[in-house]
Amino acid sequence: MQTVKMVISGAVNAGKTEFIKTISEIEVVSTERRASDDTKLIKKETTVAMDFGRIAIGEDLVLHLFGTPGQKRFDFMWEILSEGMLGLVILVDSTRPETFRETNRIIDFFISYRDTPYVVAANKQDRPNAWAPDELRLALRLPPHIKVLPCSANDRESVKGVLLELLDVIMQRSEE
Amino acid sequence: MPLVGNIRDFSLSDFLYLVDRGYKTGCLHLDRNNDAASLYFEKGKLITALRQHDRTNVADLLVSKGKLTSQQAETALDAFRNDSGAPVAQILVRLDLMPRDDLQKVLQQHVEESVYSLFGWPEGEFRFEQNQKPEMSAPIMPTPLGVEHLIIEGVRRIDEWGRIKDRIPSTDIVVKFIDQGSEKSRGVKLAPEEWRVFARINGRDTLAEIGKKTNMGDFDICRIVYGFLTAGLVDVVRSQIPTGMMSTGRPMSDAPTVKKSLVSRIMNRIRAM
Repeated sequence: MQTVKMVISGAVNAGKTEFIKTISEIEVVSTERRASDDTKLIKKETTVAMDFGRIAIGEDLVLHLFGTPGQKRFDFMWEILSEGMLGLVILVDSTRPETFRETNRIIDFFISYRDTPYVVAANKQDRPNAWAPDELRLALRLPPHIKVLPCSANDRESVKGVLLELLDVIMQRSEE
Repeated sequence: MPLVGNIRDFSLSDFLYLVDRGYKTGCLHLDRNNDAASLYFEKGKLITALRQHDRTNVADLLVSKGKLTSQQAETALDAFRNDSGAPVAQILVRLDLMPRDDLQKVLQQHVEESVYSLFGWPEGEFRFEQNQKPEMSAPIMPTPLGVEHLIIEGVRRIDEWGRIKDRIPSTDIVVKFIDQGSEKSRGVKLAPEEWRVFARINGRDTLAEIGKKTNMGDFDICRIVYGFLTAGLVDVVRSQIPTGMMSTGRPMSDAPTVKKSLVSRIMNRIRAM
């Protein structure tokens, strides 16, 4: 059985758990614990380890989805999770510009030292005050070739759309 | 829909960059305690800035600065009332009440002063209303102002590391000019020490090396380069190291190369879900 891996990353409360739950075929393995630091101002429970989802592609192939922990003190997990990943989705909470700097830090981490196919998903586009993808591109100073996609992590079609766009990026670099 | 946030989290410099690159037209409203300001942009350039306690009528403003007599101001306002399609500032020029260059100089100085003081705000709510335009009587500059030199000047007023560290974590980084950087820099007025740094940017030397060559301290060199980065004149060169190291000492590997057929299978599966 061959397994391939995609990583879903983003700042605290960007919607990583929701994103994986929406598309995974299995109950998402999520180690939610009561947050012990200032993240509890954002939500009562936050991801302190990781989320894990799974999509069976065929009898011989499985896609694993890993969500990175949002808090800085779990940065060491990013390295482990990113080993051998096929591609990366960076989720941004489009309604919270206070998380844009952290999002940039996460992007820098993943792309500084390795050539990683990735897309940016502008989550919570259905909410008032959401920054549009074009505005997020400028706010995050992303180059034109990086796709910034509108997304609602609780909507399956939207999540599928993001994954397909990422796969399209991966396809362009894959071999015959 | 308006863009909202706080300049504590998304700085005024960052917002000016967004307005410039996004070619935005509209008004950036800033509010803090008992103070407020409104910056109006047209196609990414600043056309006027109004502070809460400022005179909002250009004729009154020019009279208060001794650039116009009350009678001239009244003449302009009479013409404005009869022809409200044009801004008062434009009418002043059309009626030869003030030369265009002089008007630009006075209004630009006024607007710049209004904006520069905003860079000192540590926090403040902002709201950007797309396509909102100023009153025709506002001190609208005949020539809109590019934001790059506002950013550079604003960054000169930064006296703490906090904001700079976000973008320049160490002096080991290397910067290079971006594609349109030299074109953009034409509208920017650099101080001599900024020119010294600007002239030494070559996409190879680290900031520490440029600091040595210019005899400048870490803070000054980082602050200057932070200004160039924020104004979109330069960009950070990504690490030249082909493979990064993990904290465990193991080398980081690139994403694995996979076959198109495999990617295609995954795509088909997801489409079918």
